[in-house]
Amino acid sequence: MTGTAPTTDRHISPAVALRGTGAAARHVCTACGGDLGPADRPWKDHARCREIALHLAGGPAYDTGEREVFLRQFCCPGCATLLDTETAMAGDPWLTDRRAG
Amino acid sequence: MDPMTFSIIRHRLFRIVDEAVITLKHVSGSAITNEGHDLMVSLYRADGSLLMGGVGFLHHLTSAAEACKAIIRRFDGDIGEGDVFLLNDPYTAALHTSDIYLVSPIHVEGRLVAWSACFVHVTDIGAVNPGGFAPQAPDIFSEGFSSPGLRLVRGGEICRDVLDTILNMVRSPEMVSLDLRSMIACNNVARDRMQALFRKYGAQTVDAACATLIEQSEQLFRARLRELPDGSWQSRQYLDVNGTTARVVLTMTKTDDRLVFDFTGSDPQSAFSINCTKWASLGGLFAPLFPLLCYDITWNEGVIRPVTMIAPEGSIVNCTRPAPVSVATVGAIQSVNNAACTTIGKMLAASDRYRDEATAVWHANHFAIFKFGRNQRGGYSIGILTETFAGAGGARSFADGVEIGGEIPNPISRMANVETVEASFPVRYLFRRRAIDSGGPGQYRGGTGGEMALVPHKAPDGGIDYVISGKGTRHPMSEGLAGGWPGAPNAYVWVHAPEGGDGAPVVASDGLAALEGDHQRVSWGVYPLRGRDALYVRWNGGGGWGDPVTRDPQAVADDVAAGLVSPGAALAIYGVALDGAGGPDAPGTERRRAAIRAERLEQEAAQ
Amino acid sequence: MTPAADVTYLVATDVGGTCTDTIVFGSDGAIHIGKALSTPPAFADGVLNSIASAAGPMGLTLEALLARTHLFIHGSTVVDNTVLTRDGARTGLITTAGFEDTLHVTRGAYGRWSGLTEDRIKHPVKTDRAPALALRDHVMGVPERVDCDGDVVLPLDEAAVERAVRHLVAGKGVQAIAVSFLWSFLNPAHEARVRDIIARVAPGTYVTLSSDIAPVPGEYERTSTAVINAYAGEITRSYLTSLQSLLADRGYRGATMVMQGYGGLLPASEAAARAVGMIECGPAAGVIGAKFLGDLMGDRDVIAADMGGTTFKVGVIQDSLLEYAREPMVDRFHYIAPKIEVVSIGAGGGSIVSVDPRTRLPRVGPRSAGATPGPICYGQGGDEPTLTDVMLMIGYMDPGHFLGGSITLDRDRTERLFAQKVADPLGLSPTEAAIGIYRIASAQITDLIREITVERGLDPRDFVLHAFGGTCGMLAAAFGEELSVRRVVIPYTASVNCAFGLVSADIAHEYSVTRTLPAATPAATLNALFADMETRARAQLEAEGVPPDRMRMEWSADLRYTRQVHEVTTPVSAATPLTEDGMRRLVDDFEALYERKYGKGSAYREAGIEMTMFRLTARGLMPRPRLPETPEGAPDATPALMGTRPIFDGASGGMVPGRIYDFTRLQPGMELSGPAVIHTPITTIALHTGHHARMDRWRNIVVEYGQ
Repeated sequence: MTGTAPTTDRHISPAVALRGTGAAARHVCTACGGDLGPADRPWKDHARCREIALHLAGGPAYDTGEREVFLRQFCCPGCATLLDTETAMAGDPWLTDRRAG
Repeated sequence: MDPMTFSIIRHRLFRIVDEAVITLKHVSGSAITNEGHDLMVSLYRADGSLLMGGVGFLHHLTSAAEACKAIIRRFDGDIGEGDVFLLNDPYTAALHTSDIYLVSPIHVEGRLVAWSACFVHVTDIGAVNPGGFAPQAPDIFSEGFSSPGLRLVRGGEICRDVLDTILNMVRSPEMVSLDLRSMIACNNVARDRMQALFRKYGAQTVDAACATLIEQSEQLFRARLRELPDGSWQSRQYLDVNGTTARVVLTMTKTDDRLVFDFTGSDPQSAFSINCTKWASLGGLFAPLFPLLCYDITWNEGVIRPVTMIAPEGSIVNCTRPAPVSVATVGAIQSVNNAACTTIGKMLAASDRYRDEATAVWHANHFAIFKFGRNQRGGYSIGILTETFAGAGGARSFADGVEIGGEIPNPISRMANVETVEASFPVRYLFRRRAIDSGGPGQYRGGTGGEMALVPHKAPDGGIDYVISGKGTRHPMSEGLAGGWPGAPNAYVWVHAPEGGDGAPVVASDGLAALEGDHQRVSWGVYPLRGRDALYVRWNGGGGWGDPVTRDPQAVADDVAAGLVSPGAALAIYGVALDGAGGPDAPGTERRRAAIRAERLEQEAAQ
Repeated sequence: MTPAADVTYLVATDVGGTCTDTIVFGSDGAIHIGKALSTPPAFADGVLNSIASAAGPMGLTLEALLARTHLFIHGSTVVDNTVLTRDGARTGLITTAGFEDTLHVTRGAYGRWSGLTEDRIKHPVKTDRAPALALRDHVMGVPERVDCDGDVVLPLDEAAVERAVRHLVAGKGVQAIAVSFLWSFLNPAHEARVRDIIARVAPGTYVTLSSDIAPVPGEYERTSTAVINAYAGEITRSYLTSLQSLLADRGYRGATMVMQGYGGLLPASEAAARAVGMIECGPAAGVIGAKFLGDLMGDRDVIAADMGGTTFKVGVIQDSLLEYAREPMVDRFHYIAPKIEVVSIGAGGGSIVSVDPRTRLPRVGPRSAGATPGPICYGQGGDEPTLTDVMLMIGYMDPGHFLGGSITLDRDRTERLFAQKVADPLGLSPTEAAIGIYRIASAQITDLIREITVERGLDPRDFVLHAFGGTCGMLAAAFGEELSVRRVVIPYTASVNCAFGLVSADIAHEYSVTRTLPAATPAATLNALFADMETRARAQLEAEGVPPDRMRMEWSADLRYTRQVHEVTTPVSAATPLTEDGMRRLVDDFEALYERKYGKGSAYREAGIEMTMFRLTARGLMPRPRLPETPEGAPDATPALMGTRPIFDGASGGMVPGRIYDFTRLQPGMELSGPAVIHTPITTIALHTGHHARMDRWRNIVVEYGQ
């Protein structure tokens, strides 16, 4: 590690990156550069989350006869790009991906 | 050491493993070993550490290392030249009882210098259900014979009493006998070739080369890890069995040149046999790690050293005796495979340099269906539906997943021809093909899974029975990456024919929908396939990559034309409208995609 | 000197990937050799050039040679090339409804990993299938169904067939149609009916039926075979037709026979209808040539190794029998047709030598400098060290006398670049590094050959090694020693071995019937099956002008242990038609073969034995050319000694003074020992201390080991 500040985005995923350093570091959407909150908070807190029952989200192939399984879609509040998906049972916590530095 | 000699010894070690695999397949001659490539051969150092892992079911590489170590502990001071030991107790090292390890010490001039180990999925192990997977087992005691270590061969002579006792406990003693003989032959080849290697180059040189090989893998793997970003990534898998659901939760943290896989948060062990022991979990996470992170590094102990696993005791990924585990390899272990594939994929995808090595989850959910019964020639047939090895590829940063393209933990596999199955079982396929909308949507689509339907045909008993250890019918398990969707889940449907027809169906061009009668979902237990009934199976597609509304509209139109994506899904998920000729309708697509984006923004930010 | 006017000739020409080789046998006992570059896609031009290059030194024009030629035998890569370059017909497929994806799904991952090296298999994220030769939307399913007994479960929907044909031909513009239904090999009626319908609805469309081209079980492989044949069929037909007319224009009046991948010959007109039969017929001919030579020299167990610029190929002949490939592939496509097994890997003189920057370990291949830019020492623009450059550095090539002095090898530049790119990074002197690379290459070939023989249940120590190709001679004695083969033979005809193989072959037709029968089946049942095949075979051979006394009928059957996957093709060794005793002998032979191939303890008698396929090979024996012989004379090889220079010697591990011999001045009976090299017009034979070479009466170099 060098002492100089990283000048480029540090990706958490292809769709989400950390920009800036120290206390000023923010999550951004890599598609539009839109803000997704400070580096010390999960970026999903600042995304739009849609939680749709799987059979409604995906059509017949995803219709398993169950109603308690959901597809969560996390979208950029600026450009509406779909940043991440999760399958989940109701009430299960969001998955958290984070980058150290 | 001299790089030339080292290169020669390294190459020879690879070939020794290859030759042993060939021997195993030759002598065994069974379909699961030869077609499914459900096997593993590897070499270990004198202390049991992994020296050279071959291509096979990769979750065995570390477990067999533990098997060597367990034998060393148990038989210390009594390990002779020409001995072969058997181990299949999951609470000692094995994955489940039917995957038997045979491990052989290799001596040169009286000194123990190395070990070889191999496994095959034996035809039967005497569990409550035939074939090894025992959905009806309440505990390990019902899952057949299991040994924490036993001497099968002493000084080159087979221990007849031991062998006969084992064969006395299984359903197909002749087949199991052949399975065991194939493993002995395999270990013999590995031992002979290793001894020749030691004799040619000297014990000191070969030992030094082995140590260097492990060090080199460690250095290379650590160097790769340092090139990857530090951070932590999560995955969650749901296993649904008989109305219950269990979670496998994984947080993978990468710091500098170390990786920690932490399963804290996973559910307590299940009453059903999908559990796995800690050795199985460890193998489960290494199975995707080897090909995803170490595709150009020799698979050995050096790769294992930088990795730590945390698995809470009493959980589904580290169950305690006597929890049943016979379905582990297609249960919790496979979920560990998937979760590790996702977290590793997320880490790779976060790296500009390694993004093209990331992949969404492949074939996430085996459907272990063993058919058994009297066949059309009057004999008795038992065997797995090999379509479970057909799999589906996960999407990548640069391409769609491979349709029905296999799986990561077992790089070499294939399914049998329809004609092969129809020749040996009294069944007839109505169709077998790629399953529409099964591939996880994304900018790059997950590879499609498949679907098929079977009816009894010329069966002397009117049909057959099957053991099914299915899960993944309620939850998609092949996670997507970077906004890609998961692949569609599995489905197993028993179609009860309506009263009063004549003969089983012959065609069903529209798939499951064309099959008349009551459709009953089944997933766990023993069921009949008789009369005019049908069994429908659909297996999961791979996970997708990236936002589906950014997929090239022409690619979506091509998928629709090829029958891989329905027009409904094209419009609803991909936002692609088609024109009269089946091509993408540009203005309609633009409108629909704008509407999808608007829908996404309708709700408030969630917190 | 022009030969006498009454001499007639047998001409054989093999088109390979790089060169087109010709061998000419005169009725006066003389052998002549020709070589020209291959000329894809107009391969016929290269054929004429190659024959002309043989005619020139004979003092004949191409026309004069052809006018005196009574038989022309040909092998060509035209089909392989059509598939590799994706240059075939737009191909449609008609198959059983519900199973339209069979071709594209390739039995799951099978089509994704097969044909890849282990390094690539271990890196699955970067693997994909090769796009199929028939597009998915050129596949049409039609309602019909036959079951595992050949019984019709659902009659063919002929109206649907007609719609499918119109859709493919008029709608999609397909030029060729493959037809493959489930279980058609047991009941081909539906496929035959489709051919009639295509002939009516879309006359002129090229049609291949799976039940014709590959009447064997396994719908994926059978379908793939039919598609490959349909895809390459028209190009193959027109190639053979135009070649024959070109030859006729130059005055040739005789018959043309075409080599098949199973090592037999077919008249050109029949070969044109079976494109898949020609796949890899060149390498197959190479093995046939090795077998012919082995038989001549009294060696029944031969490993035939061919190493040229880019590939290393190995075929195995055991007990004078050829081995057939279990899962043959062309490019990355599976097909089923009897084909001699030749294992091929990307290793040759052009293999690039480098140092892995991460591990600082030396590597040989997998990249190749190919023919262009080629090795550094050729001075044609190559600047990456290759195995050939290593051979120069360790004294195995003579800078001034390469390919008859036509190229002067640039030793200084080679050494400089080799030091910079290989030796320095390894911290070794250039000579030390070159010696090390040679040892690695030799060890890796040893490993490969051992694995190939183990796969067949064989021990290399029982074999004689035949070495062909420009690079093999420099390594063969070394890896032969490590494998402990009985001896190594570098044949006189090594440079045109495949063409030589063409003239060693017979006309051969392969027939088969698929039926599962228990081993205890009465002999009469088998005799009836074979009698039917023999009737067809005799009529066929007769039509080709083979007299009855030159017909040979060879029976064999595939047997297996019940519930086991390994089937072993077992030749019927008893007299035919079979008696009950003969049947028992067949089963005994199977068990012996099985244990030999799959190892001691693999036999599984308890399960019972069944027969699954019955095969007839019908041969029309061709006249064998006689190789010229010279009685062996005095052993003293001094007359061929050119001088000495430092060469690498495996026994001492370093460079030592080696004697240099000129092959063209060696005479039968002469003997010499390593450390030495023999320069032939196309290659170098390197001998280490303990390697003893002798020229035999056919001018082959035979290397033995000892004291």
